[in-house]
Amino acid sequence: MHIPDGFLSVPVAGATGLVSAVALVVACGRSQEDLGIRRAPILGLTTAFIFAAQMVNFPVAGGTSGHLLGGTLAAIVLGSPWAGMLCITTVFIIQAVLFADGGITALGANILNAGVIAVWVGWVLTQTLQRLLGGSKGRLPLAAGIAAGVSIVVASVACAIQLVLSGTASAAIVLPAMTGVHILIGIGEGIITGGVLVYLAKARPDLLPGEEQEFKGWLVPVISILLVAGVLSLVASGWPDGLERVAENVGFIDLAEQVRIEVPTPLADYGIEGLGAISTSIAGLVGSAVCFAVAFGIAKVVKPKNA
Amino acid sequence: MLKVALPLRLHLSLVIVVGAASLQFNAWLCLGIYGAIALFWAGFLRVPLPQLGGLIGTELIFLSFMALPLGWERASFLLVRSLICLITMNSFLLTLPPHSFGIALKSLPVPVPIKANLLLAGQYLEILLDEVTRMQRSAQLRGLNGAVGWLRYTSAAMIGALYLRSLDRAERVYAAMVIRGYNGQLPVDATFRPKERFVLLVAWAIASGLTITSYTI
Repeated sequence: MHIPDGFLSVPVAGATGLVSAVALVVACGRSQEDLGIRRAPILGLTTAFIFAAQMVNFPVAGGTSGHLLGGTLAAIVLGSPWAGMLCITTVFIIQAVLFADGGITALGANILNAGVIAVWVGWVLTQTLQRLLGGSKGRLPLAAGIAAGVSIVVASVACAIQLVLSGTASAAIVLPAMTGVHILIGIGEGIITGGVLVYLAKARPDLLPGEEQEFKGWLVPVISILLVAGVLSLVASGWPDGLERVAENVGFIDLAEQVRIEVPTPLADYGIEGLGAISTSIAGLVGSAVCFAVAFGIAKVVKPKNA
Repeated sequence: MLKVALPLRLHLSLVIVVGAASLQFNAWLCLGIYGAIALFWAGFLRVPLPQLGGLIGTELIFLSFMALPLGWERASFLLVRSLICLITMNSFLLTLPPHSFGIALKSLPVPVPIKANLLLAGQYLEILLDEVTRMQRSAQLRGLNGAVGWLRYTSAAMIGALYLRSLDRAERVYAAMVIRGYNGQLPVDATFRPKERFVLLVAWAIASGLTITSYTI
């Protein structure tokens, strides 16, 4: 998933670099505690550990190979996604500057994909899944394993979108290719993450977060909605619904084409032209966000004054 | 021994990489000029060619898998552009004195916490490698011959054990560093002298001119 030099356009490289820089400034401020005398060795060693683990490739189908990304693992072991961001960012800087693995000009994009998106998706999903699984510490490896696998796929989709926006490749080629390979890599990531956490939970349980839940109550429903809209929508049936089937059978389906005034709809048929299957997912996420915003606005307006 | 300071070497390498990677698509003339600069840089740094060839060959194979489905015209420009960046950065990497990457990285404009983490990670990598060697030796004594055989039997528990063993040593090393006065800063100066600043400024000006030209022709 390391984007090399020359594959991103200047605007995309600049924009992703800016977003990553802002995220890192916030992360540096929020993880001051992790840089103190007590936690610094854990942060430094975890960084070295993730760097070393990324050098060990495991074979994936089709003659390609993958390696651990480690964002979820780092965030959980360090107990903070902010510290996890610092850890993965450091790994990517070392790889880009000293090993030409991942481009210098693509460093912002690579940090955004692996150090921000993968870390946060892994962290938030782990919290959500752990709560759905009962919240016990024993379920943490399972939750983290699933979350780590999903985080890789999400990061690969982000990477593919950056390549599409740069004009390097068409969405029809790069999106299925990246997603397909990274689903397999995600399985490997999930197994390694879960396995390591099982061992750490037995050998050094004090290193892992406790039973208490640190996330807010609204997180579970919001993440569940995003999972349904963004992931499950990809496997939704493409067959016509009941009314469409009847209209086809009876013969009045053509009436739908004979409208006098056509309102332009950017997400017609729950998709975006030219983006393939992933457009359903994007449309689902946009729709969920709009619905949430509208419902939130209505609730604010109609809320009783004494509430 | 080359007289170019390590931070300046890193920054000049970055100038070439950023300039070449930002070129307009299909600006072959400008790409050719960057290619000549990259080859001159590799020659100037006296990089060992067999090692450079081996590294770049492996990296290009992986890049080809990504670029070739895009068609020959697009893939050829992307691959040549990436090749120039790889020659530049690998030339810097292969001529980097041992244990000195911290000095080079210190000159980069990154936040202090990340620099401190970079330094610690660099130091702890040696600890990790040492622990891997010890675990391999233990495995060999128990009948698992060779590094490949050991790797085949590596499990999540062994990775976890490696992490914990290294963490114990890392904490001891860090405590020793703090006792000796470590405060999160590498005690080495990595600032530029006026002459080096001028060289860097000229390099940035040439690279900017060349890259901007690719968008106008």
